[in-house]
Amino acid sequence: MEPNPLAPLEHFLPQVWFFILGLFLFLYILLDGFDLGIGILSLTSSDERRRNILMTSLGNVWDANETWLVLMGGSLFGAFPLAYATILNALYLPAVIMVVGLILRAVSFEFRENANNKRVWNLAFGIGSFLAALGQGFAVGTVFEGIKVDAAGHFAGGMWDWLTWPSVLVALTLIQGYVLIGSAYLIYKTTGELQQTHYRTATIAAWTTFIGAVLITISAPIFHEHLRAQLFQPPLFYIFAAIPLLGILLIFLLLRSLQKREEVMPLVWTFLLFLMSFIGLGFVIFPNIIPPSVTIYEASASPSAQVFMLIFVAFLIPIMLAYNLYNYLVFRGKVVA
Amino acid sequence: MTLDSLDTVVLSRWQFALTAIFHMLWPVLTTGMSIYLVVIEGLWLKTKNLTYYHHARFWSKLYILNFGIGVASGLPMAFQFGLNWAPFSESVGDFFGTVLGFEGTMAFMLEASFLGIMIFGWQRVPPVMHWISTICVAFGANLSTFWILAANSWLQTPAGGVFVEGKFRVQDYFQAIANPFMVKSFAHMFFATLETSLFVIGGISAWYLLQNRLPNFFTKSLKVVLVMALVIAPLQVFVGHLSAEQVYHYQPAKLAAMEALWETVPAGTPADWSVIAFPNEAAQANTLEVKIPGLLSYLLELKPKLDTPILGLKEWAPSDRPHLIGLIYYSFRLMVAIGLYLAALAIATIFVWWRTGLEGDRLRHYKWLWWGWIFAGPLGYLAVEAGWIVRCVGRQPWIVYGQLRTVEAASDLPPQVVLFSLSGLVALYTIFFFAALFFGSRIIQKGPNVALPVPGQANAQELEIRIKLAEHQPDRRPLETQQ
Repeated sequence: MEPNPLAPLEHFLPQVWFFILGLFLFLYILLDGFDLGIGILSLTSSDERRRNILMTSLGNVWDANETWLVLMGGSLFGAFPLAYATILNALYLPAVIMVVGLILRAVSFEFRENANNKRVWNLAFGIGSFLAALGQGFAVGTVFEGIKVDAAGHFAGGMWDWLTWPSVLVALTLIQGYVLIGSAYLIYKTTGELQQTHYRTATIAAWTTFIGAVLITISAPIFHEHLRAQLFQPPLFYIFAAIPLLGILLIFLLLRSLQKREEVMPLVWTFLLFLMSFIGLGFVIFPNIIPPSVTIYEASASPSAQVFMLIFVAFLIPIMLAYNLYNYLVFRGKVVA
Repeated sequence: MTLDSLDTVVLSRWQFALTAIFHMLWPVLTTGMSIYLVVIEGLWLKTKNLTYYHHARFWSKLYILNFGIGVASGLPMAFQFGLNWAPFSESVGDFFGTVLGFEGTMAFMLEASFLGIMIFGWQRVPPVMHWISTICVAFGANLSTFWILAANSWLQTPAGGVFVEGKFRVQDYFQAIANPFMVKSFAHMFFATLETSLFVIGGISAWYLLQNRLPNFFTKSLKVVLVMALVIAPLQVFVGHLSAEQVYHYQPAKLAAMEALWETVPAGTPADWSVIAFPNEAAQANTLEVKIPGLLSYLLELKPKLDTPILGLKEWAPSDRPHLIGLIYYSFRLMVAIGLYLAALAIATIFVWWRTGLEGDRLRHYKWLWWGWIFAGPLGYLAVEAGWIVRCVGRQPWIVYGQLRTVEAASDLPPQVVLFSLSGLVALYTIFFFAALFFGSRIIQKGPNVALPVPGQANAQELEIRIKLAEHQPDRRPLETQQ
């Protein structure tokens, strides 16, 4: 057999792709997170004027934000076909819940715009956002917990495996997180009374997110044997010790900036909070891609596939970020009625 | 059918087919219309004629309605490969997944990012920048057509690698992307989206003309449509012919199904083209058939007698050839008939344009023509759906032609679970379909809003605010309140 010129990369490439997919997923959770959070918040709105402002603040961005998820799906399919197949197989029902939710959310935007009786589509928008967040929460919770696979890495569990107490906890916490970042975004995008409302929703969501995060952090090593072994080994132990401490600090800074009625800092602290939780999640999962047993090396596409895709995608990441940024720049400023 | 006799593969196929058929309805319009919008906005910038500007605004309203449903219904497509076709995803992920990844990174993100500016940014960026945004949206949409057609063509004519133990190993990516079907299939679909949207725009314009409502405004859009359709519609007939020829060369079983041809026509004899047939799969014959003698040999080889034989369906074992022959046969004929009708309509209308100049009272004498256009409005959709049915039902029993069977590619899910997602999606899609028709016709009933402010004019900002209830405003408050 000929020597494979890509052999030295066989270890490196899956790591690069793990990072890129993590980046896509993080951007999705961050950006569509505030879309979905605002959608959930809209359920509490009885006032058509407020809802108008909420939806106008999303009109130009929700589609691009949702695209990060499609991008993540496509890239996972290309870079780790086994993980794409097994994870979606295991998460069939949560994925269907999420997809149905996202569909409802998307069409409500357009139908509401043209409808005389907006109530149906208002409801569909809010419920859609909630279902999407719920499905995603279960998905994250299940991946965090681990998926039952056979020796070949194929899904070997049942259709309801994802419905457990720990995944319910993760789902509820993610919804709180989305509401938090949605509120922070609205603080940044609105003025006056509306802004005051979202200072209040942000404060409540900050507390509920915090409680959820504490419960997850405490319960994770209790529920999961594989996590216990992993967490209490140095050097990971230090990282896992640092993350909760940093989290407490960030929550404190966030609550203080809300108290002081700052406009941009709540968004910044929430962003950092998301980033830190996400890095924590990344450390728990790495080097697996289908926890607890299938590693990124086992689930990888061939090195040639990963190199080929990497050449184009790596080149496009800064470009994609640039035109997303341009979109936000064009629509900067407050939304007013 | 009881729950126990439900078959996961059949249900997964139904789910994929129905979601794909529904999804196709929306991007087929927006992809083509985006090019029309580039043209019409470009005309505005070039001529400064405000009619073109108001056209861009009016058609954008239909555009965004369709776009939203297209994005929504596209999501299940992106995840279904893993959800219902896990063995397929694992087997061909190296290539197929890579292409879907490309579609997302190269096409979707470009389209999605500039869509916001295209729809809401009229007053926020200079007109030229707005036009560039429209171009980016159009480019992104058509780039995504390219990647999807590259991926689907690869399923038809897999190239660029080998299957080792059921897993596709890519040897040459460029060869896999430029597989034998890719160029003509992409061209066929590119023209299909453009043609469908041109005839939708033309049909709606004709509806206004028939009512004598804003006739000058809508003869403008009709003229732009006509100039484009005169090129596209006949060209599409030709590209369609080339596509059928490549099926003849690469997928003889599909061609036999398209023609409901059971017995092989040997070389040296003429092949007849059947107009009507009732295929009977049990008897492996057509119960009734009307044929035009010798036409098929002319269509395929431009000769009265064949050089190479056309294989009949009986050449394959029933498990190795497509089923639903009647569906494939009639879908193909429907598509061809529509293609010819649209080309004829474009040519006939050009003739009327030449005689009348499409102006003034004389237009009223051509009611039949406007009805012809209204009738043509939905036909493009039908042709596109029919074409995809021929392409993908005709590929069966293979998911990757000649390499991977559809039955081996489905996830092993409990059928009840698939039935649950299938029925949920069907229920939602039914509602959306009728809601879209309702809101679409409402947009058309309302007509263009010629009071919309024109970018670059003095009072533009104020007017825009009155028109939209909530609007992004640049932050003009004193500096000290800003962070």
